[in-house]
Amino acid sequence: MGIGNALYHGIFKRNSVFVTTVFVGAFTFGIGFDTGVTKFYDHWNKGKQWKDIRHKYATEE
Amino acid sequence: MASFQVLKKAVSLGPTVRTLSSGVPHAPLLNLAVRAPHDHAHFDPQAPRSDVSPRWASGTTKLGSELVSRTFVSSSPSVHFQQRTMHTSAVVKSETPDWSTYRTNPENTRALSYFMVGSMGIISASAAKSTVSEFLQTMAASADVLALAKVEVELAAIPEGKNVIIKWRGKPVFIRHRTQGEIQEARSYDWKSLRDPESDDVRVKKPEWLVMLGVCTHLGCVPIGEAGDYGGWFCPCHGSHYDISGRIRKGPAPLNLEVPQYEFSEGDEKLVIG
Repeated sequence: MGIGNALYHGIFKRNSVFVTTVFVGAFTFGIGFDTGVTKFYDHWNKGKQWKDIRHKYATEE
Repeated sequence: MASFQVLKKAVSLGPTVRTLSSGVPHAPLLNLAVRAPHDHAHFDPQAPRSDVSPRWASGTTKLGSELVSRTFVSSSPSVHFQQRTMHTSAVVKSETPDWSTYRTNPENTRALSYFMVGSMGIISASAAKSTVSEFLQTMAASADVLALAKVEVELAAIPEGKNVIIKWRGKPVFIRHRTQGEIQEARSYDWKSLRDPESDDVRVKKPEWLVMLGVCTHLGCVPIGEAGDYGGWFCPCHGSHYDISGRIRKGPAPLNLEVPQYEFSEGDEKLVIG
């Protein structure tokens, strides 16, 4: 109830604040989603990607 | 007892009203205005009789020889009126039922509702943004194109006073290692009087290295180096003369030879075009 009321009066009551929050949230959500998916992909394919096995084949110049 | 005897005397009276075959009473010579004898003393003979209902309520009239009796006032029902519904078992309540136990308080739920709306907005906005950016990325140059877009040239291999022609993005590029005399010549000329006025400073990054696109600005031929009237380049197609800074001096070409983007790297050892 307390959190809900704070959210309502802080964000939802004014449409300008609401829409701004939505866009800012979309921006941060996009970044966070990309980072999370990349992290999961790297974890899932650990040891298979070129950046993981590069040291076995590439010789230092 | 005697009076009872008097009343029992039978008197035969003819009917005052006869009924026609159509059912309408037929009463010729009937006097409806006749008064009782005792009324005469107290009232005006033209006044309405007190023992009959007033004329506006009901009354008997004669229409020709026909007797018409009408009643104009509808009396109220004599029994108590009661609302009867479809089912006699239904109970009519006078007030709306109390739904408050089924209602939720909007104060409690609106934050959640708006939160859901906002989350939907966030997800759809980021979906729209990623759709647009992914679409724009399809227009970007691919990796193989980018790999061919730059050309590296070893500058140490070019002696002073020599031209080198290399291929960059399918077009020839002239690189001239200019001598001090040529630099002096290019710098000292009054460039403001030229057809395409451009100083030598803006055309080179280092005065000894002149890098130009080797395409004549007239119709796209490739000029010949170290030729022409001005010691620079000469286009054999239509006779355009360029000077040692690549500026047009004579002939049909409208503009100076174009200078591509380039930069020196690794301590002036290498030239990167693109």
